[in-house]
Amino acid sequence: MAPARDFYQILGVGKNATQDEIQRAYRKLARAHHPDVNRDPGAEDRFKDISEAYNVLHDPETRRRYDAFGPDFRRIPDDVDPDSWNRAAAGAGRGSGPGAGRRAGRGPAADAGFTTGFGEDIDLDDLLGGLFGGRAGRGWGPIPGADQEAVVDLTVEEAYRGTRRSVALEAGGQTRTLEVTIPAGVTNGQRIRLAGQGGRGTEGAAAGDLYLIVRIAPHRRYRVEGRDLHVELPLAPWEAVLGTTVAVDTPDGEAKVKVPPGTSSGRRLRLRGRGLPNPRGTPGDLFAEARILVPRKLSADERRLFEELAATSTFDPRRRQ
Amino acid sequence: MNPPAAVRTGATVTYALARPARLDLESFARVTGTHPDLVRRLVTLGVLDADADPAGRLWFAPAQAAAMARVHRLRAGFALNYAAIGLVADLLDRIAALETAARSNSPRGGGQ
Repeated sequence: MAPARDFYQILGVGKNATQDEIQRAYRKLARAHHPDVNRDPGAEDRFKDISEAYNVLHDPETRRRYDAFGPDFRRIPDDVDPDSWNRAAAGAGRGSGPGAGRRAGRGPAADAGFTTGFGEDIDLDDLLGGLFGGRAGRGWGPIPGADQEAVVDLTVEEAYRGTRRSVALEAGGQTRTLEVTIPAGVTNGQRIRLAGQGGRGTEGAAAGDLYLIVRIAPHRRYRVEGRDLHVELPLAPWEAVLGTTVAVDTPDGEAKVKVPPGTSSGRRLRLRGRGLPNPRGTPGDLFAEARILVPRKLSADERRLFEELAATSTFDPRRRQ
Repeated sequence: MNPPAAVRTGATVTYALARPARLDLESFARVTGTHPDLVRRLVTLGVLDADADPAGRLWFAPAQAAAMARVHRLRAGFALNYAAIGLVADLLDRIAALETAARSNSPRGGGQ
């Protein structure tokens, strides 16, 4: 059972709000939460709540009855006086109101399985006249559901190898869990389409699609650019000068990088095809960027050798061309 | 002759109150060339932002004049009703914010 909702709270207005204030709040909220504007899977339900609250509060008569009788006001016959109702509330019978038996002849699409807080024998569709029909009444025919988007966070390793994820979605007051296989080689910002898992359609129309948007979390070693991976390659000055072969971590294990002699900081060494895989084409590359580090403290011998080098060398990194 | 706005009467000096940076409904309607009833309706539709004081009078920030001009342009350029203009204006604002963010994130300082 969904918790009883306060319509004023849903619209974010006070109990003594004017009709203009109620309409203003509704218009702004509806624009922000309409399922075609807001792709969050929970937005459709919020939009329904907002429309439901507005439908009750924008009409002074239903608003008066809502204020008097609370969320169950539709069960109470129109000719009941609020004061006498309150006096007789303890002994009032239930289930004989105008809501009883309303569901006859409703299509299966209307029974989306959500509870409304009004009791089991009224469904929300009766109250709203369909999500999009709204106050204008029915007559739009079946409308397919809107597409939705949800974000799924992956590590670089998961993006490299592919993974399985369970994605929890809030819909209709209940949580829906989807088991999703993420293929190897997805990139940051890529959308994975799950057909028919989006917003519900009305009157038997098809549901929309759910798009999972991949977000690759920042990694302490790898920087991701498209399918290319960038890593830092720390080198000692003599390694950079003389050349060497060093091991670099990749998501697929270590790889050997040949550092050519005379490598300066910032030089990028490419390992072709060692970036993120591509299911339909060439995989990305891994770039190791040389970064020359020097010892903070030198032994006496090291200092002597560096001083000797300084005296001998004619290299001037700041020489103008 | 009419007395000036700030009058020295004996030892008391009366100062005109500083004009707050906001417009009342009539001034706003005059500045934007719009009928006050329409302005009021646009506030109700959530297309324009206004603060209501305890007496129920509406007050507008000067920036709302630009919002009103955009309403006129959208209304004239596309056959949109005022409720739809609210949606379009919201989306345009959202696009502008995203474009600004995209520009500031671009490593080349925009234009990409």
